[in-house]
Amino acid sequence: MTEQERLAALTQILSDLLGDDSITLAMDTVREDVDGWDSFTYINFIVAVEAEFGVKFRIADVESFPNVGAIVKAIGAAAGR
Amino acid sequence: MLFNSYSFIFGFLPAVLIGFYVLGSRRRDWALLWLTAASLLFYAWWRPINVLLIAPSILINYSLARALEQTGEAKPAFARTILIAGIVFNLCFLGYFKYLNFAESALNDAFGTGFVLTQLILPLGISFITFQKIAFLVDVQAGRVSRFSLADYGLFVLFFPQLIAGPIVHYREMMPQFRAVPCRYDPENVAVGISLFFFGLAKKVILADPMSQLVAPLYARAAAGGAQSMTEAWIAALGFTLQIYFDFSGYSDMALGLARFFGIKLPVNFNSPLQATSIIDFWLRWHVSLTRFLTAYIYNPLTLNLTRKRLAAGKPIFGGRNTSVPAFLNLLAMPTILTMLVSGIWHGAGYTYILWGLLHGVLLCINHAWRLIRPRIWPNAKVYSARMAPVGFLLTFLSVVAAMVMFRAPTLSATLMLWKGMVGAYGVTLPAAVFSRLGPIAGWLSAIGVQPAWTSGSLLLTAVVRIGCLLAIALLMPNTLRMLAAFEPAIGVKPDRTPSRVARLFTWAPDGAWALGLACIALAGILSLGQLSEFLYWQF
Repeated sequence: MTEQERLAALTQILSDLLGDDSITLAMDTVREDVDGWDSFTYINFIVAVEAEFGVKFRIADVESFPNVGAIVKAIGAAAGR
Repeated sequence: MLFNSYSFIFGFLPAVLIGFYVLGSRRRDWALLWLTAASLLFYAWWRPINVLLIAPSILINYSLARALEQTGEAKPAFARTILIAGIVFNLCFLGYFKYLNFAESALNDAFGTGFVLTQLILPLGISFITFQKIAFLVDVQAGRVSRFSLADYGLFVLFFPQLIAGPIVHYREMMPQFRAVPCRYDPENVAVGISLFFFGLAKKVILADPMSQLVAPLYARAAAGGAQSMTEAWIAALGFTLQIYFDFSGYSDMALGLARFFGIKLPVNFNSPLQATSIIDFWLRWHVSLTRFLTAYIYNPLTLNLTRKRLAAGKPIFGGRNTSVPAFLNLLAMPTILTMLVSGIWHGAGYTYILWGLLHGVLLCINHAWRLIRPRIWPNAKVYSARMAPVGFLLTFLSVVAAMVMFRAPTLSATLMLWKGMVGAYGVTLPAAVFSRLGPIAGWLSAIGVQPAWTSGSLLLTAVVRIGCLLAIALLMPNTLRMLAAFEPAIGVKPDRTPSRVARLFTWAPDGAWALGLACIALAGILSLGQLSEFLYWQF
């Protein structure tokens, strides 16, 4: 799976969570860029991503992902292990 | 020592700054050590014995952090034990001072006993300091902190601008700044620092403190069992909301300004919360650093674990608009209410604080539930937010104001009394003096149930004018973060790309007009220092 495909999957998950189909994520998107993507929704998003890709992030990493790209890369790294 | 005292503004602060700049021009580490020592003096000023409490706690925490760092990833189980021991130690430390007297009186109430322990006096800022220490230990264990000495850790815990009432800071956002800061006099830092400090001082002594004199008798009367008419109950509710608003907003500005004198930026802590259009939004603007702490160290780990467990058990998890009711209750409602319960307990040892936390937890859950249900009823998110933002604002405002009554009222019965008053259970009153001057309107008013009251007309007028002015400032003006946005007044604050006309009018600049304006604000603030009053958040 390429990074672009992962990004598309993340976009779909977040759109479902927020009930907003107009969301488009990019590698450099940060939480503040997306309306309603608060800390509460964030954790649900992370678990949904874990479930979708069958990976498990460390809580310390979850707290410190700087942008969407970092999540995409972390999925790649976890899947490669 | 209070930020709003002559001894702080004209004695302590100038002395510490001169020492810092002079030492900093020779050796940076001397300047930082001076800052740590000055912070300890600041803490000791109020009651020197406090130092005997905080110093051992710093040493124990530092030793535990060292042990954690050395154990590292080699022995994860051992590291975990050290971390848990550290958290338990800090919570016991807090619990002993903050909750022992409460537990004792609760036991006495429940069993009709009469145990009397010594009345413990709360060490200043202990709740803030404790949370910060716990966060540090967790960060060390998670590998988010590398390289720290006792001098680093001491400065991180004691740094006086944020020692007593936050913001609750993270080591990883403070220490790189302390390591890089030149420790020299810098005109821009001093100009921004002085402006933030005096904006904050004026908010505290000119806007917040007089409000306290206005509302205190109303709460005292409610506590004594006196019924309040709708007029008085609303003055009490709005008045206290605005008092704590400007008290905390002023404190937060002063903390930002003081840190900036040393070239340090603190995180955002207060961002026009009364302009929030939902309760979730409110908590992202009110006491931001506490919300951040509770989210990172309680809510997120709890939800993450619960969600993974549910998933492993084959039960449906949180699925956006398709979320099932059990998933919502387990994964969102329960952790949210629990987190807000901790927030309530953290704020104070008393039933009203605990219930206040629970109330906000329930409000947050309603907000989250609505976010899930809304797309089914009103699919177009953009049109929805454009049309419903005013409704959201009004509901949020009313909820926050009503909950603030509980935060301030000394007992639950006083809270209920005031709430009943707010919805008109004890009628509507106008001061007799006003009533008698209304002519024929007085007749219509009494026909719909408005009564003349004991309160004086000038008291009502003062209340209405003050509440009106403060509300206008809180709701319509750009806040200090926005005014100084071009100079990054707090970590990560950036200027607006398209500022409104009002925002442009209030944009701070280092020029003559602002110097004159700020000099007036500073003078007014300093002249109002007469009646000393503590910051509300210093008791937490």
